[in-house]
Amino acid sequence: MKLKDNEPLRERLAAEYVLGTLRGRARRRFEGLMHDDAALRRTTREWNERLGAMAEFVPPVVPDKRVWRAIENRLGVHAPAPAWQFWRHGALALWRTLGVASSAMAALLLVSVLRQPGDTARMSDIASLTDEQARPALVVTADRTRGLMTVKVVSAVPLTAQQALQLWAVPRAGKPRSLGVLGANRALTLPLPADAIGADVALLAVSLEPKGGSTNPDGPSGPILYKGAWIRLLGSG
Amino acid sequence: MTSATQSDPAQLRAWLHGAAHRDRMAFRSLYDASSPRLYGLALRILGRRELAEEVVQESFVAIWHHAGEYESALSAPMTWMTTIVRNRAFDLLRRTRNDADTDTIDHAALESLADVSMSPPDRLQMSSEAQALADCMGTLEEKHREVVGMAFFHDLSHSDVAQKLALPLGTVKTWIRRSLARLHTCLGERGAA
Repeated sequence: MKLKDNEPLRERLAAEYVLGTLRGRARRRFEGLMHDDAALRRTTREWNERLGAMAEFVPPVVPDKRVWRAIENRLGVHAPAPAWQFWRHGALALWRTLGVASSAMAALLLVSVLRQPGDTARMSDIASLTDEQARPALVVTADRTRGLMTVKVVSAVPLTAQQALQLWAVPRAGKPRSLGVLGANRALTLPLPADAIGADVALLAVSLEPKGGSTNPDGPSGPILYKGAWIRLLGSG
Repeated sequence: MTSATQSDPAQLRAWLHGAAHRDRMAFRSLYDASSPRLYGLALRILGRRELAEEVVQESFVAIWHHAGEYESALSAPMTWMTTIVRNRAFDLLRRTRNDADTDTIDHAALESLADVSMSPPDRLQMSSEAQALADCMGTLEEKHREVVGMAFFHDLSHSDVAQKLALPLGTVKTWIRRSLARLHTCLGERGAA
């Protein structure tokens, strides 16, 4: 087959490859040719764009909710790369910037989150955890003197009975440390371990997990939903 | 009633990029915007709800894992996802064809051929590429259009199509060859205009 100089034949084979009528040995041979022929790959891609639009001739049908739930479950359990690892891929600097950018938001939230006026006096640090669109979802406050931290849900994704949110301290090096698991409760007071707020803690993060918390001993098993950095409040302990 | 979101390719591209960076929110938005089209396609190919759901599920798991390999310069986001769904649906179709219930699938296959030509309201939900393709397919003879649609949606070889439509194999091959050449010319003219 002198494919190289035969433009009409190249077009025809690429089109039939995409359409699916190029079969068996001919199909495999075509794939072999494509491997070494960038122009042929491009021709095939162009046909894929042209004929692929045929998919839109079919009326859209909204799939049942269970499809998304199944996807979420599968990605939570079977993801080969744990979701938290992307902290390690150069994104940390960017995320820390985001954390700082949301500090103004965190300050604003102080007023609405805290009910008792006395609370502010005992607060040493605050973190506003936001989603990818920088919308605040949780506020975490720390009281270094008493060794306590409080997590309050401002506006987070609704959870099913089988889901929970897990709070993590993400250090600059090493594995994320679990700080606690939130189920249906909207607020939670937890002990404040030193390694939750130490200088090596780059970020706080919240992952979506099965009820009871991550199934992975080394970090989150589900996707990271929210993140934010601690902010030390001036004039406190 | 749910209307299809004809999502802006730039928006879909941004969500795919987010998914590549493990942004769950972006992935969810991508799913919401594109799953009705992709599920509709899987349903058309497979004709059975549970199989189509399985394919959409597998496809989105693959999209999450491979979003980083998507090259926006090379293909439209919807085409990329459509190709994933179509390939997976065909894989499943090949596996289930050996089962006893081929009748259901073939019945669905033949039913679906009627509406390759579009009603005007449906056209409004299509991308400009799909509208152009629909127009160009409209210039083909009905039988030819049917043959092309059959091959695309149902993973049929020349001889499968020939058998189903009781036509000589050579005729089917010629029709498909001519139809693809005509589409190429027609789309090229529209693109140049």
